[in-house]
Amino acid sequence: MMSENAISIRDLCFSYGRKHVLDHVSLEVRQGSVFGFLGCNGAGKTTTIQLLLGLLKARSGQCLVGGHNPQTDPMTVRQTVGYMAEDQTMYGWMRVEQIIRWSSTLYPTWEADYVQDLIKQFDLPVKARVKTLSKGQNTRLALLLALAHKPAIVILDDPTLGLDPIARKAFLRHVITLLQAEGVTVFFSSHLLYEIEPVADTIAILDRGRIVKTGHTDQLRESIRRFIVTPKPASDLGKLEHVLDVTQQDGQCLVTCEVVTDQTRLAIRAMADREIQECALNLDEIFEAYVIGNHGREVAPC
Amino acid sequence: MFVRIEPSSSVPIYRQIIDQIRYQVATGVLQPGDRVPSVRALAGQLAVNQNTILKVFNELRNEKILRVERGSGTVVAQSGQSMTLAERKKTVATLLREGAIQAIQLDIPKEQAVDLLQMEYEIILSEKKRSQP
Repeated sequence: MMSENAISIRDLCFSYGRKHVLDHVSLEVRQGSVFGFLGCNGAGKTTTIQLLLGLLKARSGQCLVGGHNPQTDPMTVRQTVGYMAEDQTMYGWMRVEQIIRWSSTLYPTWEADYVQDLIKQFDLPVKARVKTLSKGQNTRLALLLALAHKPAIVILDDPTLGLDPIARKAFLRHVITLLQAEGVTVFFSSHLLYEIEPVADTIAILDRGRIVKTGHTDQLRESIRRFIVTPKPASDLGKLEHVLDVTQQDGQCLVTCEVVTDQTRLAIRAMADREIQECALNLDEIFEAYVIGNHGREVAPC
Repeated sequence: MFVRIEPSSSVPIYRQIIDQIRYQVATGVLQPGDRVPSVRALAGQLAVNQNTILKVFNELRNEKILRVERGSGTVVAQSGQSMTLAERKKTVATLLREGAIQAIQLDIPKEQAVDLLQMEYEIILSEKKRSQP
């Protein structure tokens, strides 16, 4: 059975013509969790989300969203899910109250009282035309429209793109207080690990259409380490276990390992000529190691 | 209660929060009996996942730094309350071990490492004195 989870993706493949965009993507999103979906621009995040909503047809593989198959039953999925598109454009000529009223006709479960509550919390000018809203107001309006029918699953496609740091933090706070606290499942895509880390239970990193890492957020930082080594001649650091990246420079090597045990340390020590340094990585460095790491392949022995 | 998160740090978020609360209790900024915010409230305030805050509170409760009081939520416990000396020593030893490993790796002689510990001890005691009325 694949459907204890809120979102379940199995072996999903998609291509635009000959260009493979998604290559056997599999993911499980636990009910009530906040799932951070990370990747660089063009990694395939938006494509994945559009497949989850049935806006695109998959080449192969399957997905279930809230127990429904978006490929065969897209309307049911779109009624049960709250969705905020990347850089969502709304009818600029409409007033805020008009777009809210217009959207309310699309959903049978629309909650008018909750919407009034959100208008106040989000400090939205109801009489203003949508095209005159600031970027922050626009994002909050899009969030309101995504939440107004009280969905159990919310999909946010890079929702904080272009927000200033204060608006971004406020948005993340809404994710925690309005969604996580209410038991809503959140699927949140972003290209910034430091943004997603504080709010996500689980993180998946997508790189050129492939999932390169999934894991619990807390564990992501704990096991990954970088070593600065002056290797012995002919030692092959690329052969270590769990290597994400080996970079050589001026007779020294930077070795980044995903899982570091005492055995890893012993193995590295055996290959090192002089003392080795071990350091923890910050989030940007972790993201980089997964996305552009060479996994020790194509690295000539020192 | 004020807690600050450094996003570019290599220290995990839950660890950053634990360290800051522990420090505030050690220096007397937080006094025994002081109420701390609920998991929900602190998660909202910091814009941090509730499960992260839950993990922080669980760990601080296990260390007997926080305690749940029926009716009034989570409060700061009496220092070392209901822990035997052996238990308290064990807690400290675990933390000092990390420091000792770092000191050996960074080639700090034993005597100097002990000096450093003494210095930190004095700094915190003097801050504690200052925060007392």
